[in-house]
Amino acid sequence: MTLNRRNLLKIGGAAAALPLLGSKAFAQTEPLKVGFVLVGTINDNGWNYAHNQGRLYLEEQLGDAVETVYVENVPEGPDCERVLRELAQQGCKLIFATSFGFGDSVIKVAEQFPDITFEHATGYMRADNVGTYNARFHEGRAVCGTIAGHMSQTGKAGYIGSFPIPEVVMGINSFVLAARKINPDFTITPVYISTWNDPAKEADAARAMIDQGIDIIAQHTDGPAALQVAEERGIVGGFGQGADMSAFAPQAQLTSIIDNWGPHYVKTAQAVLDGTWESKDSWPGLAEGEVQIGPYGPKVPEAVIAAAEAVKNGQIDGSFNIFTGPINDHTGAEKVAAGVTLTDAELLSMDWYVEGVIPPA
Amino acid sequence: MMQFRLEKRREPSRFMLYATPVAAVFLTMVIGAIIFSAIGFDGIGAVREIFLTPLTNSYKWQDLGVKAAPLIIIGVGLSIAYRANVWNIGAEGQYIMGGLAATWVALASHGSGGWWTLPAMMLAGMAGGAAYGAIPALLKTRLNVNEILTSLMLTYASVQLIYYLVRAPWKDPMGMGFPQTRRFASEALLPNIFPGTIVHAGVPIAVIVALIAWFIMSRSVFGYQMRVVGAAPHAARYGGFSENKTIWLALLVSGGLAGLAGMLEVAGPFQRMVPGFPTNYGFTAIIVAFLGRLNPLGVIFAGIVMAITFVGGEVAQTTIGLSNSATGVFQAMMLFFLLAGDILVRYRLKRVVPQTEARV
Amino acid sequence: MTLELTIAIIITVVGASTPILIAALGELVVEKSGVLNLGVEGMMLVGAITGFVVVFTTGNHYLAILLAAGAGLATSMIFAFLTLSLSANQTATGLALTIFGTGFSALAGQGYSARPVTLLGPLFPSELATHPIWRVLFGYSALVYFSLAMVFAVWWFLKKSRAGLILRAVGENDHSAHSIGYSVVAVRYGAVAFGGAMAGIAGACFPLLLTPQWAERMTAGRGWIAVALVVFASWKPFRLLAGAYLFGLVMTMELYAKAGGGPLSAIPAELWAAMPYLATVIVLVLISIRRDASSNAPACLGRPFLPSN
Repeated sequence: MTLNRRNLLKIGGAAAALPLLGSKAFAQTEPLKVGFVLVGTINDNGWNYAHNQGRLYLEEQLGDAVETVYVENVPEGPDCERVLRELAQQGCKLIFATSFGFGDSVIKVAEQFPDITFEHATGYMRADNVGTYNARFHEGRAVCGTIAGHMSQTGKAGYIGSFPIPEVVMGINSFVLAARKINPDFTITPVYISTWNDPAKEADAARAMIDQGIDIIAQHTDGPAALQVAEERGIVGGFGQGADMSAFAPQAQLTSIIDNWGPHYVKTAQAVLDGTWESKDSWPGLAEGEVQIGPYGPKVPEAVIAAAEAVKNGQIDGSFNIFTGPINDHTGAEKVAAGVTLTDAELLSMDWYVEGVIPPA
Repeated sequence: MMQFRLEKRREPSRFMLYATPVAAVFLTMVIGAIIFSAIGFDGIGAVREIFLTPLTNSYKWQDLGVKAAPLIIIGVGLSIAYRANVWNIGAEGQYIMGGLAATWVALASHGSGGWWTLPAMMLAGMAGGAAYGAIPALLKTRLNVNEILTSLMLTYASVQLIYYLVRAPWKDPMGMGFPQTRRFASEALLPNIFPGTIVHAGVPIAVIVALIAWFIMSRSVFGYQMRVVGAAPHAARYGGFSENKTIWLALLVSGGLAGLAGMLEVAGPFQRMVPGFPTNYGFTAIIVAFLGRLNPLGVIFAGIVMAITFVGGEVAQTTIGLSNSATGVFQAMMLFFLLAGDILVRYRLKRVVPQTEARV
Repeated sequence: MTLELTIAIIITVVGASTPILIAALGELVVEKSGVLNLGVEGMMLVGAITGFVVVFTTGNHYLAILLAAGAGLATSMIFAFLTLSLSANQTATGLALTIFGTGFSALAGQGYSARPVTLLGPLFPSELATHPIWRVLFGYSALVYFSLAMVFAVWWFLKKSRAGLILRAVGENDHSAHSIGYSVVAVRYGAVAFGGAMAGIAGACFPLLLTPQWAERMTAGRGWIAVALVVFASWKPFRLLAGAYLFGLVMTMELYAKAGGGPLSAIPAELWAAMPYLATVIVLVLISIRRDASSNAPACLGRPFLPSN
């Protein structure tokens, strides 16, 4: 009789379920069962795809010690709560919830299953058995911004965002701060399209920006649509988001920011297996390999690659931080004094734009 | 070539009325298993996980209740309207407006609420849904504008209203900039009726609503009026029932119930207003209403069947790795069979000998 | 606004409008025959995945369009059989068809996600489209010219052809049409098939015309905009053309306004997104006040046809 089974009986009185669940969930020699809850489909070429790659990496690295399951297209809200309990009931001892909107559900379900470990991506609410994790994508944005500052001829970039949440705002600010270190007149126009996945709208937003003089495009949505437009229009280029998208835009992709969740998943699963896991906020970046810079595109000259690598390596060894002052806000008023670096807490609630961003209405 | 002809029954078949939904579910299981096995999936496993596991596993029952409750409440309202031949397909919008009205009460009374908060939210929810249902009613009765089209269009406008409210005026000041309202205060949250479960007060309310509606529809003058106007508008006119009044009642009742469901969802499982609040309950409830044969008691059954496929679809994803899209195909298949079976209630199938001038 | 920018906007608007125009033209004919098929979004998705897979495997865009039309048509036959042969409720069946199309396309599209294809190029040789002004006329792919030709074709069919007259009669008064010897069900089968084929082509516009990839649910609600558009246009093909471009302009101007700044960018995104639907309700009200709705809205819309034996 396993621990899982006792819990099941205690919580649900689910004797009837055992014949159905028993065969698969409990027959083996107790691998750690790890569940993943995804807000979209694993085939989205972006965010959810990257999490699924991390899941596969976890299976590959820890082999028979783990067993993974995932549930995709889970709406944010009560449906997520049900899915989390479903996974808990099936014997998952570690569950990753990979969208911000799952936060309430994670906290609620974690209360009901105190001996299961939960990790919530991009969230900020923690509990004894709930940790949070994210990746410092803005470090990658600084590398992209450096390339943009060097290569843009018009000095204008466009940025397609979903919603103006801190994570997106942070990325925009990081991008333009880096670009303005090269070209002090560099500006960026964010366009929010109120969706994570509407490829046709992303493409039209890219067209609208290119038609109005931008020659560099970056996006914080899930797919390659904007890059494809950059390729079609032959502008200077853009950046892959979440994964290497050079298949979609072999010329236009200057480089890409790769979400590499695998190491975090391996580390967390190992900690749970060893009994050393504790609730904390984990926010690694380039240094830990959670954020990676993909291959540089054929258009990027050697000198620019060197500059980009310098920014990347500076962030890896800690000698460079993009959010170190002086930083002015978009009105030109000083927001961060020289030598001061924004704290993580300040970053996580960032709701203001730096100089060079043409703020949306 | 074999040809069939439909022959109208003198009376709708009681047997078919109850047998066809059961047959539809059964056919979906059999044919679904065959098709999915043929294209390389574990067809039998899929059927087992989608249709049986949620029922055999008592731990899933609370999930079924919570998922079915809004479907039943909205479906009951729609079945009343459809009986009266009023085609409200904008229940999703009315559900949203109910949720928004209740949210407004919860936010306005935050910190100063009391025992009266939940009842006030309930009233606001029903009023919000009914008010949104009143727009198609007004346009239909005054200007003879098709209510199918107006109620559908208004739904899409209401979705945008949520996005706007949670992004700007109602945004949680402590929410790190994320587009959602603050969590409601405890007086504005539905209590759980069984400690240790997730079954909130909305679940028994759904059953009560269905029972009351059944009683009213079968025993009262109101119910008689709705049924007569729907079934025989000419006769109803002679009988002194006003068609316009029926349209108003149908839309107010179905809108009000959808609004109630919205309030129960936001104060129950959601606990705050979020952009993900519209979860297609209003559209799914249309199917639930038909599956339940426009009978409030049937709607209870239908709401549970739909809930089974949702809950079971997630089980199938985790246990046999069946993708979410395959569950959608199963659901659609079941609906197709159900809708196809409809005709057997009123008609019987007769084989006819092909003739030279047979016209379809 | 410079000439260059104006022309660029026009070209983007044409791209955004074309799929909704094609889908709405199909739905217009369906509704004129007295049938309301709310499964447009589902049929479009089936067309989108079919178009993508064909162009990915064969590289032939025209074959992709043809087969997408076939796939849309095949999907619409599920609807036709249930609602026309078995008199099932059209609203519920249409919604079920959308659930089916969404699920089926996602299932069929597994494994095609990280695969790029190429867009369908302009129909005319590029020498014709060197000057910006000529680009507005000659710079589009065949799908755009197809959509415009179909506006004329549908108008001619409904207004001038005998078959169109019969179709309208069936939509206006099915029992009279039946009693004078027309097969109501056969006519409606034909209309639904046409609507399905057009929705399939409209879906194929997404990977072939707008963004050369496959993404689940990539039509993102355009099928519902097409349904709104038919009503907005009060069932008239040329108003439909104007309406499609107006809707396309609204969807696109939001992005241009935000990207360029200026007074329009102050309008909340949500209001932009709600505009097509609100405008449709307003148009419905206006045509009712002017009382020409009765002459246009097919009287039998959404009602099942049950011949009395």
